[in-house]
Amino acid sequence: MPCRAYPCCVSLAPDTPWITIVWNDPVNLMSYVTWVLQNHFGYSRKKSEKLMMDVHTQGRAVVANGTREAMEADTEALHGYGLWATFQKDE
Amino acid sequence: MARGFRRKGSGRQARYVAQLDPLERATVAGLMDQVRELLDPPAPVPEGGDDFASIVAGLGMGVTVAAEDQSDLDPDDAGRDPALARLLPTANRQDDEVAAEFRRLTETGLRQRKAAALETAAELLRGEDKIRLDAGQSRAVLAALTDVRLVLGERMGLRTDEDVDVLEAAAQDLDPDDPLAYALAVYDFLTWLQETLASAMLDG
Repeated sequence: MPCRAYPCCVSLAPDTPWITIVWNDPVNLMSYVTWVLQNHFGYSRKKSEKLMMDVHTQGRAVVANGTREAMEADTEALHGYGLWATFQKDE
Repeated sequence: MARGFRRKGSGRQARYVAQLDPLERATVAGLMDQVRELLDPPAPVPEGGDDFASIVAGLGMGVTVAAEDQSDLDPDDAGRDPALARLLPTANRQDDEVAAEFRRLTETGLRQRKAAALETAAELLRGEDKIRLDAGQSRAVLAALTDVRLVLGERMGLRTDEDVDVLEAAAQDLDPDDPLAYALAVYDFLTWLQETLASAMLDG
């Protein structure tokens, strides 16, 4: 029996993945960035702290990936929290 | 003497409690008002100047982040006040058209949400010395403190981690009456206050 969901799966598959990046800045606190990542994305405390440390030590970190629409929504939300976020194609 | 935020209770019943004196509360609330005005410029005041600025000046709280009070403002490429550019940053660094489209679709909403959080937070701070926040209020105060620190940091020229160290070192030699020394003291106070709230919320 053919999978009826199949055409739907295909149309939902993103052609090119997009990513959301958070950039380091001198103002935002480590505890606050961790809290934002935990709250907005629902990441564990451990994962949030790891991403926060990547931002802090490497200047930036990819915090999410998915469709362009989803990455735009994440970026807008992170701007609401005052983080320096951008979205782009994953190249 | 100020007492930073501590969590009382847990889950939905969690409250975040701090104690600030009237001058501390007025200073922080006043800065929140200024950042809200930066995001949502009110109609020009016809005569008599800016009421809030004159009240603040009268109280000896000489920190102003308003654009017209900055002597060395260096607008970004879009001719935008850099502090505003920090609150509403470019969302795509590779494609100016994509960035402009994102700004067109999101900027009004972002400005309104930030202004609403700043207004809520300033009102809460104008209540009593003992500040008691529920979950929603604590989020508004946390975001408002971030936006105030971003603007104050930008006004003091903090753009890299190194800038903070340089400024802290230079501040040792500043006259205590120097506006920059005062701004840095206020910034450090806001940093401490936000750190206590973020840590308490992270543990909750």
